[in-house]
Amino acid sequence: MIDLDKETLAKMIDHTELSAHSGEKKIANLCSEARSFGFYTVCINGAYARFAAEKLQGSGVLVCSVVGFPLGAGTSTAKAFEAREAVGNGAAEIDMVVNVGALRDKRLDLVRDDIAGVVEASRPALVKVILETCFLTDEEIVRGCELSVEAGAKFVKTSTGFGAFGAFPDHVRLMRRTVGPDIGVKASGGIRNFKDAWRLIRAGASRLGVSSSVAILEGLSLYKFAPAAWLEEEIPCHFCPSRFASLDKQPKAVYAYYKKKCLTCPHLEKFNKFYE
Amino acid sequence: MNGWMGKITKIDLGSLEQETVAIDDEMRRRYLGGRGLGVKLYTDLCSAKTDPFAPDNALIFMTGPLTGTVMTSGRYAVVSRSPLTGTICDSSSGGSFGAVLKSAGLDGLVIQGRADHPVYLYIHDGGIEVRDAAGLWGLNTQQTQKAIQEQTPAKTSVACIGPAGENRVAFAAIMNDKDRAAGRGGMGAVMGAKNLKAIAASGSQAVTIADPEGYKAMNARLERIIDKNPVTGKALQVLGTSVLVNIINAHGMFPTENFRRGMFNDAEGTSGEKIAESLLQRQSACYKCPIGCGRTTRTKNKHGEGPEYETVWAFGAQLGVSDLTAITEANYACNELGLDTITMGSTIGCAMELSETGAWKEKLDWGDASKLLAFVEDTAYRRGIGAELALGSKRLAEKYGRPELAMQVKGMEIPAYDPRGVQGMALSYATSNRGGCHMRAYMISPEILGHPVFLDRFSTVGKAEIVALFQDISALVDSTVLCRFLQIAMGISTFTEMLRTVTGLDFSDEELLKIGRRIYTLERVFNNRAGFSRGDDTLPPRFFNEELQTGSSRHRLVRLEEMLDDYYSVRGWDKEGVPLPRTLAELGL
Repeated sequence: MIDLDKETLAKMIDHTELSAHSGEKKIANLCSEARSFGFYTVCINGAYARFAAEKLQGSGVLVCSVVGFPLGAGTSTAKAFEAREAVGNGAAEIDMVVNVGALRDKRLDLVRDDIAGVVEASRPALVKVILETCFLTDEEIVRGCELSVEAGAKFVKTSTGFGAFGAFPDHVRLMRRTVGPDIGVKASGGIRNFKDAWRLIRAGASRLGVSSSVAILEGLSLYKFAPAAWLEEEIPCHFCPSRFASLDKQPKAVYAYYKKKCLTCPHLEKFNKFYE
Repeated sequence: MNGWMGKITKIDLGSLEQETVAIDDEMRRRYLGGRGLGVKLYTDLCSAKTDPFAPDNALIFMTGPLTGTVMTSGRYAVVSRSPLTGTICDSSSGGSFGAVLKSAGLDGLVIQGRADHPVYLYIHDGGIEVRDAAGLWGLNTQQTQKAIQEQTPAKTSVACIGPAGENRVAFAAIMNDKDRAAGRGGMGAVMGAKNLKAIAASGSQAVTIADPEGYKAMNARLERIIDKNPVTGKALQVLGTSVLVNIINAHGMFPTENFRRGMFNDAEGTSGEKIAESLLQRQSACYKCPIGCGRTTRTKNKHGEGPEYETVWAFGAQLGVSDLTAITEANYACNELGLDTITMGSTIGCAMELSETGAWKEKLDWGDASKLLAFVEDTAYRRGIGAELALGSKRLAEKYGRPELAMQVKGMEIPAYDPRGVQGMALSYATSNRGGCHMRAYMISPEILGHPVFLDRFSTVGKAEIVALFQDISALVDSTVLCRFLQIAMGISTFTEMLRTVTGLDFSDEELLKIGRRIYTLERVFNNRAGFSRGDDTLPPRFFNEELQTGSSRHRLVRLEEMLDDYYSVRGWDKEGVPLPRTLAELGL
């Protein structure tokens, strides 16, 4: 049984448009939808923060701007500047990308300071830290979560949507377990329908970053007319990062790490085999 | 009145009497228009004993409250009894004819009687002129449209039949706006039986919108929903419906050589990608459609529209043919002669298997593309071997003592998704009110494409409920009348909002689904009266007994019995598939 109404779900959604080729018309449509459906924020590139803030004035929908997006590999100064400018243009939330390379190199002070700098520059806006989980092992995800909390971030977030893969329940579960109940967990990337969303909410996500937000709300509406289809038992491998590991898109050590995880997976016997 | 034009006219082609059909607000609210209102009017006017070719059989052209308004709203529906299946049947078509019919002042047109000589109807300013069509009889659909457009004002839209309809081929199509087809079920043959060559419409009346501001915002929202969906926003636009060839083949359910195999070795060579590389001239779109799934193509000899996915399959894998040019030219011929490509191709496939087994002495070979054009032309004119093919696969296979070789449900040929690879689609085919059709509940959407929820295609769990839901939504969308591709990108609430902004009526999601259920049940009641019941809700024995041997659907069979009782229960029908009295009462039937 799914105990969730449309309004509650809408309030968990950052309605997102981050394509490089999106112009004002698309952002205006995004804002119009966010108003109509009551999404929590619109999540956009910084160049459109002021434009979106104007479009959303009086609506109660906030503007969320991305920083250091999508690679997270710029300098801390540049990220802080970008965040300050976005907040000055009307952003109430900042989604920053962590310095993924530094996190993998275990340069923990650099990572913490990088985040702290953005948190400071963003005040009073709230900061979410995008870990880009597709490039990290579980241990690195835990470390990224801990550093984010230490640096004053209020949310940790899975993905940019531009990496090797998006949000998976396993990662969300791990992040929630690490940050506890008082810090938000945002799942983003590859969330295309209501069932995808529901799976991540059950794993502990308190916010969703999606561009198919309207379709997701409509999926919830449809669920009540045919619940059995939505509640059908699922094969866990279909939603496992190990299944989606890609030698082309991930560092080879991370790819090997995910493939190796299958060997100790509790679902190994029942599910991890070739499916017709 | 917002949304509707407020006028449906009935014309008797025998007596030439015309009268306005009284439709009250309650009936509009209960059936909307299109397929729904068409089915309601049909069942009020005709009985289950009505012969499809008899003068008293009604042929109903309907638009809906959204026709001529939002995106993809150029469509219309045709409702009658099918000469192919004997079931009630609706067939819908894109282009702009629906929108133009409405701009000519009519929501719909009910045609009964039979003209004593060929005629066509010209509709404008809410009135209908009956015009002589003796000079048009025998022309193909392209020539017919051109000739009528020369006799009528600019921007006149024409829906017509070709030689196949004139010759009452049981799967003759009605063609409009050049190459758009109301293809399935033989509505063109019903038209031919009435000596009605065409309907032309022109006009400038606008549909009034209840909430213009909301309507504007709705259109912007629709544009984004369509754009964000990978199928409607990308795949269909760039590669057309034939984008499915490689996808369905990779799932091992691309029916090959009359459904004996689920993988076609030459699929790549007949794919949407290959069409884009070799034949495509440009993308084409129906009225107010941002998707533009149509393909304008050119071969060395000809140019035209298509082929779409089902046609690529019907003249390709189904026959073992990998010659894309031959497939495309067979498609052009069907468009010109007015034939349903799915039934045409599938019937040839059935004939090839009959030939191979020795049941039929004609020599037809798998993979032989050289005779395709001749088969199509001979069928339209009912000459030679074509006179046999014009029967459709069910009657043909019965005639030669091998009924199990016709891949059909209730007489209509199953399209290009092998049901052994998709259990929900199997149930959808079996319970379809017009026979083997993918459009009653397009389960490929959840079972392959993952919208609105990704379902295990081999599981039967929960499929009854979602097939019934999809059938109801489809009946609803067919009654609005919008393109069914919207269903891939959106759920029920957007349709609710569209209807609100256009008509001003506050429907709830529940009420809209109830409309869909009412229509589906009314169709079922008609079919029950016509003698269809549980025994007809089935598939050819091949799908229960013969496992596919290769591909990712290998070793699979259809498990219909695991779903059928559940389906009847969800629908409120008894074990024989007859709606229970309480179901009829609940739906106000």
